[in-house]
Amino acid sequence: MIGELIDGPLWYFSLVVFIVGVLLRLFSILRAGLKPDLSPARGGATAGALRNLISRSIPRRDVATRGRMVLVAGYLFHVGLFALLFFAQPHVDFYAERITGFGWPALPYWAFIVSAEIAFIGLLMLWLHRLLHPVTRLLSSVDDHVGTGLVFLVMLTGCLALAQSFEALRLLHLFLAELLLIYFPFSSLMHAFTFTFSRSYSGAVMGRKGVNA
Amino acid sequence: MRPLPGTSTGVPPFSLAGGMMLLLITLLVLVTMPQAMAQAETEQNGIQVPNPSAELWRSVRQREGALPGRTQVQGVDSAMLINPYGERWRNFRMKELIPYGGYALGGMLLLLLLFYLVRGKIRVNAGLGDRKLFRYTLYERTIHWFTACTFLFLALTGLILLFGRSLLLPWMGPELFSLLASASKEGHNLFGPLFGVALLLVFFRFVRRNIYQKGDLTWLLKGGGIIGKGHVPSHFFNMGEKSMFWILVLVGSVIVGSGLILVFPLFGQGRISMELAHVSHAVTTLLMIVVILGHIYIGSVGMEGALDGMTTGYCDLNWAREHHAEWAERCEADGDVLDADEVSQRRGETVSGAAVSTRESSA
Repeated sequence: MIGELIDGPLWYFSLVVFIVGVLLRLFSILRAGLKPDLSPARGGATAGALRNLISRSIPRRDVATRGRMVLVAGYLFHVGLFALLFFAQPHVDFYAERITGFGWPALPYWAFIVSAEIAFIGLLMLWLHRLLHPVTRLLSSVDDHVGTGLVFLVMLTGCLALAQSFEALRLLHLFLAELLLIYFPFSSLMHAFTFTFSRSYSGAVMGRKGVNA
Repeated sequence: MRPLPGTSTGVPPFSLAGGMMLLLITLLVLVTMPQAMAQAETEQNGIQVPNPSAELWRSVRQREGALPGRTQVQGVDSAMLINPYGERWRNFRMKELIPYGGYALGGMLLLLLLFYLVRGKIRVNAGLGDRKLFRYTLYERTIHWFTACTFLFLALTGLILLFGRSLLLPWMGPELFSLLASASKEGHNLFGPLFGVALLLVFFRFVRRNIYQKGDLTWLLKGGGIIGKGHVPSHFFNMGEKSMFWILVLVGSVIVGSGLILVFPLFGQGRISMELAHVSHAVTTLLMIVVILGHIYIGSVGMEGALDGMTTGYCDLNWAREHHAEWAERCEADGDVLDADEVSQRRGETVSGAAVSTRESSA
């Protein structure tokens, strides 16, 4: 009964909430628009936006030294999670069956495990940093911890269900993933999409002013 | 209740017919029992037919040692029909490892409880003051708690795998326990390498401060000051902490190494290697858990002020004077003592505070 609910209606409901919620959030950002800039342009806004979009992924030297742990942990987590989410064989099969109707090459098992390992290292390090660093602790809201906790639980239950022998473990993993999908659009996890807007906006403004920032 | 046919009360009467029937059955049993027993005795003492394959199977079992045969099947141990050490390993696990491991863990918990009841929380004699010393950087605290998280998860899942069948299965039932055991196994296997990474990070960060030096033996001979009222001077880390570090590194290396042998049977390790790896993994892990229980006790309820350094990065000056006197003296001589307000500012707890210390922020 509960299994059917998780596997059926709740899955579709969470997917709809995720898609509609994300689109609404993005639409609200776009609708806010930009103030007209009447000053003469000293450089290209588009070039600045594109440059910023990429260059912000490469840390400045001083940041790379002082915040090395966060930098390394951040990359480990995001790269590991991306690989797990889109290239783990069980996930590829799930997408093919439930969403896309077609699959794509998945990671070999060993790479899948390595991805999970590095994602866990990164996530735990980042969460501990959030709790222990005096500034990030003060800046962090309940939303940040709930988001991090949900991602951690989804990853953990996924790893506990690796043997694929128990339906209850798969359903627990799916249920938590559904909670995450529902929570996602209303949380700071939206940075997965909005980072492109913020980087592009800053890059465009600076590019137009001719500032190399 | 609906009355039974032929009765008025609904309670079946012990009728005459029923009584007769019971008597007949009893008589029949009494009459036929001696005959049946005699027949069974005859069958037991019947003609002894030796098993013609006994010699063959005795050879196959190879109790004296492993003797690989010849086979076309390619693979590790594929030429060994029966592993003679398997039974020995199983008996060790069931009859020695599980009970004695349980006694060790239970004994340690009991010991800590007794110690707490007798000694109580070790207080700072001069009391906690408002002057602090910077003790651990953010990076050091992060890798400490990272190690703690992974170790606790591995210990919990490992204990479920080792003791679950004896302790949890009767309580949970086979269906729920098999689910829990499968989840524990997968989680344990996945988190194992994380502990290896944590161990490397801890080793490289703390090794320099954990090399034994003059004065450490004195600390040990005086029981670290934990027994009795006196305090024994020590450096940044005392002899107990240094020994804890080396146990973590050395025993932890065995745990990680044996765990990797078990998780990745890709390098030609056979069943005997796996059994040895399992035994060393389990024994060293139980030892490590016992040691860590002591570490957790001292760091939490056992000693006042001990946890502050690992949570906030700063420790109380009076605590440092009593437990790490030589380090505290050096810090005081270097002018590294901070007052509580300064610490609050550095930790961003007061609005008027300056920017957070680069020393704390830096890794």
